[in-house]
Amino acid sequence: MPVYRNVNANPCNMCMPLGGILPFKGIEDAMVIIHGSQGCSTYMRRHIAEHFNEPIDVGSSSLNEKGTIYGGAQNLFQALDNIRKVYQPRLIGILTSCLAETIGEDVEGIARDYMKQRKPEDISLVAVPTPGYGGTHSEGYWLAVKNIVSHLARPAKKHGGVNIIVPNLSPADIREIKRILGLMGLQYTLVPDISDTLDRPIARPYTKIPPGGTPVEAIRDMPGAVATIQFGLTVEEKLSPGYYLQSEFGVPLYNLPVPMGVEATDMFVNLLEKLSGCNVPQTLAMERGRLLDCMVDAHKYSAQGSAAVFGDPELVYAVARTCAENGLYPAVLATGSKSNGLEQLLSPIIAECPQKVRIIKETDFALIRTACRETGANIAIGHSDGKYLTEKEGLPLVRLGFPIHDRVGGQRLLSTGYAGTTMFLDRIVNTILENKHNNYRATMYRKFYRNTGEERYCAER
Amino acid sequence: MAISEKILEEILNKYPAKVKRNRKKHILIRDPQQDRQEIEANTRTIPGVVTNRGCAFAGCKGVVLGPLKDMVNIVHGPVGCGYYAWLTRRNKAKADEPNKNFLAYCVSTDMQESDIVFGGEKKLARMIDEVVEIFKPNGITISATCPVGLIGDDIQAVARAARAKHGLNITAYSCEGYKGVSQSAGHHIANNGLMENIIGAGEMEEPPGKYTINILGEYNIGGDSWEVERVLTDIGYDVQAVMTGNGSYAKLKNAHVAQLNLVQCHRSINYIADMLQIKYGTPWLKVNFIGIRAAIESLRNMARYFGDESLIARTEEVIERELAEIEPQLEPYRKICSGKTAFCFVGGSRGHHYQGLYEELGVTTVLAGYEFAHRDDYEGRDVLPYIKTDADSKNIPELHITPDESRYRLKIPVERLDALKQEMPLNNYKGMIEDMTEGTIVVDDLNHYETEEFIKILKPDIFSSGVKDKYVTQKMGIPTKQLHNYDYSGPYAGFRGAVNFARDVAMGFSTPTWNYITPPWKGKPLLEGTIEPCSAHPGVKEVGAV
Repeated sequence: MPVYRNVNANPCNMCMPLGGILPFKGIEDAMVIIHGSQGCSTYMRRHIAEHFNEPIDVGSSSLNEKGTIYGGAQNLFQALDNIRKVYQPRLIGILTSCLAETIGEDVEGIARDYMKQRKPEDISLVAVPTPGYGGTHSEGYWLAVKNIVSHLARPAKKHGGVNIIVPNLSPADIREIKRILGLMGLQYTLVPDISDTLDRPIARPYTKIPPGGTPVEAIRDMPGAVATIQFGLTVEEKLSPGYYLQSEFGVPLYNLPVPMGVEATDMFVNLLEKLSGCNVPQTLAMERGRLLDCMVDAHKYSAQGSAAVFGDPELVYAVARTCAENGLYPAVLATGSKSNGLEQLLSPIIAECPQKVRIIKETDFALIRTACRETGANIAIGHSDGKYLTEKEGLPLVRLGFPIHDRVGGQRLLSTGYAGTTMFLDRIVNTILENKHNNYRATMYRKFYRNTGEERYCAER
Repeated sequence: MAISEKILEEILNKYPAKVKRNRKKHILIRDPQQDRQEIEANTRTIPGVVTNRGCAFAGCKGVVLGPLKDMVNIVHGPVGCGYYAWLTRRNKAKADEPNKNFLAYCVSTDMQESDIVFGGEKKLARMIDEVVEIFKPNGITISATCPVGLIGDDIQAVARAARAKHGLNITAYSCEGYKGVSQSAGHHIANNGLMENIIGAGEMEEPPGKYTINILGEYNIGGDSWEVERVLTDIGYDVQAVMTGNGSYAKLKNAHVAQLNLVQCHRSINYIADMLQIKYGTPWLKVNFIGIRAAIESLRNMARYFGDESLIARTEEVIERELAEIEPQLEPYRKICSGKTAFCFVGGSRGHHYQGLYEELGVTTVLAGYEFAHRDDYEGRDVLPYIKTDADSKNIPELHITPDESRYRLKIPVERLDALKQEMPLNNYKGMIEDMTEGTIVVDDLNHYETEEFIKILKPDIFSSGVKDKYVTQKMGIPTKQLHNYDYSGPYAGFRGAVNFARDVAMGFSTPTWNYITPPWKGKPLLEGTIEPCSAHPGVKEVGAV
């Protein structure tokens, strides 16, 4: 391991510009354009819309053969004009595609020229170079957040608030983090905030840009915060918005794991207590108690699970921690990203695991499938492409993360905080139980009548 | 409310002047009094209008090649494009041979930065070797994404070498996303490749049955093709190949033996239909299996083409039996649907096909359009000689096809063909516009802004399009029906499909959900009071008073 192959069969990740779209959807009054063939924005809109069940408007500079020869500045100008006219955004993200990067388009330069020539008032253009071959959607996500922050941030007066930087979590997860921040009585700027924009209530009249998202002014003032809390332990420094704010403006950075599980949520709440000087309110203490109660109830069943966890590195790390806390030890930990520091982060968890754990990076599902078979994993946790593990290997899949294309409610999946972790554990344990019941007769028959021994809790092959 | 030229003007006024001039040519108000109504289509989309169109790669790999189940369809490029075209269209397939259905696999070269710099040919060649070893497919297609053409990877040469090495049908398609103006370019590229390299590669010389047909432009979304084939087989037809839903290399290579080609989606496959006519003498019949009337007409035309009395009689028998089965099922749905209005905006044929089915349920289509169709799909093939070729369409090569010396057969006598052409759409398609009624709107390449504006004015009861515009409409409180992937439902084609469609659409209208959108506290007026007669207050005029 890893076996060297050229073929990527059933990828475990999407491309960089897709990840870059998401943060712009969490900025107030923002729009986003992909500089490239129009197929890029169409395909990505389709895949994001299917996860969130929300409209995902993304412009395209619709480059064609002519653009590949003469450059696409004119198309991008026109796209910016039209987007401004119809959407009236205050910020436009410009992502590049394979096409734009391969022909060497300087989008930052084009954006500067646009501002010089058109002199639009009260609008920011944030360019993010995201060639499809430059990384996965995870890297695209972080680079977009970083560029939004570095483009807007400016020296600001100290204001006592905290910066919160979140990875690609569900809107429900972000709402929970905001609720905890509110309970702790903190002023904060959370970037990017998709909690309302990508889980939008039905409300009339319909507006083209959904209400909500982080206000541009708040991002400008981020350098004035007392601290940055970033849930991005797997993020490299060059992609890290928190690191940028620390090195450029001296804002202390607390890089924490996603607040999932007891320990990680404790770390978050404990830090908030320190920063705010407020005591942890009774509500949170009760929720923590309930989570522990849930864990005590759940551990008997959790221990029967052997998990294959896959997806964005940050989430793989968080899920692995959370599961291990309850005695559900991982067998396979996989991500499509390169994610340099992942093994090191995972090593304390792996040290606790009774069996050998496979860590696979830059993987496809063909490799994950083989690893599941070899390690005897019996439950899969991750995004909906893991359905192939169910179809081919009979592994039940607990859906979590992005994308979830074959079920509704990916945007409403809550797994953060004490309350969210409780719900997450319930989902996992119930999947184990359901599978056990569905296959009970067959398992017992094999065990006692056919004498083929092997006990697997997953569905039959 | 109908849309007048004036209202149309108001909608378009929001655009910058140049955009307005452009978009105006893509929209028309149907006026049957006019001899011919022209519409602009298949031209470049204006950057930044948030179109629903995709790219050439989507049309080639995503639409035409993707459904071929016993071939591995390799995507040469960075991982995203392969991922996004991974079973996205819900084209269903069932393996004919054990372990020869590869549709669940997304196979990509996953190009990295170093491949872009140093070229990806070697990686592709090594990967083909692996694919042959792992999957043992009946054939391989290679589809190019944007960077491949730009860095100059010669995928045709790689395919040729691999073909010689493995003795397998391995073909490459230069369908880089930037080619042409939409998916349409990709359809054409795929059509050319299939015609040049696959169709006719088989050894069959004679048709396997008395009435052997191919179905072209049917992609088996949600099982549509299965429902159509059920009826066709029952009548006595032999379906040789379906292009390309549930299709296979094994069947496709012998598609040349058919005596008649049926064309369901004209836009995506008419090139092959034409080329088969020239090369093998097989005429094509424009059919439409969406909607009961259209399906019956298509079946009758087919039977008349073969002209066999027993076939004609059997066709009527089957039609009668199917109608008896579905009519009672449809009745309750008709009651719910009757009197409603719809928008019907789909890719290149369904925008037309579904209007008939809607009409049979009592739903009037008030606006329709295509995402990527050409003028002939709107105005009919008579317009073909008048379509100007531009730089974008010239980039897609036209194959020069000549009759096949040994396999060309006259399927029916020339005089009979000419006579039949008067009665049925043989080698012809009349387009969408002719079927639309006065005052309805035709829009080409409808975009997000226009969708919203037209909805505000026309207030349709249902909006049928795709996943990208569905949620906008639902948020506005209007039911939708996805006609690209059927909202995970289907089949909608043929007789039983019509019942499924009626059930799903009726459900959209009758679900109680819509009743709860306005909360009770919003229904009450904020202020209450009485208004005195206007004479008592000379300063206020009654509305409408002069």
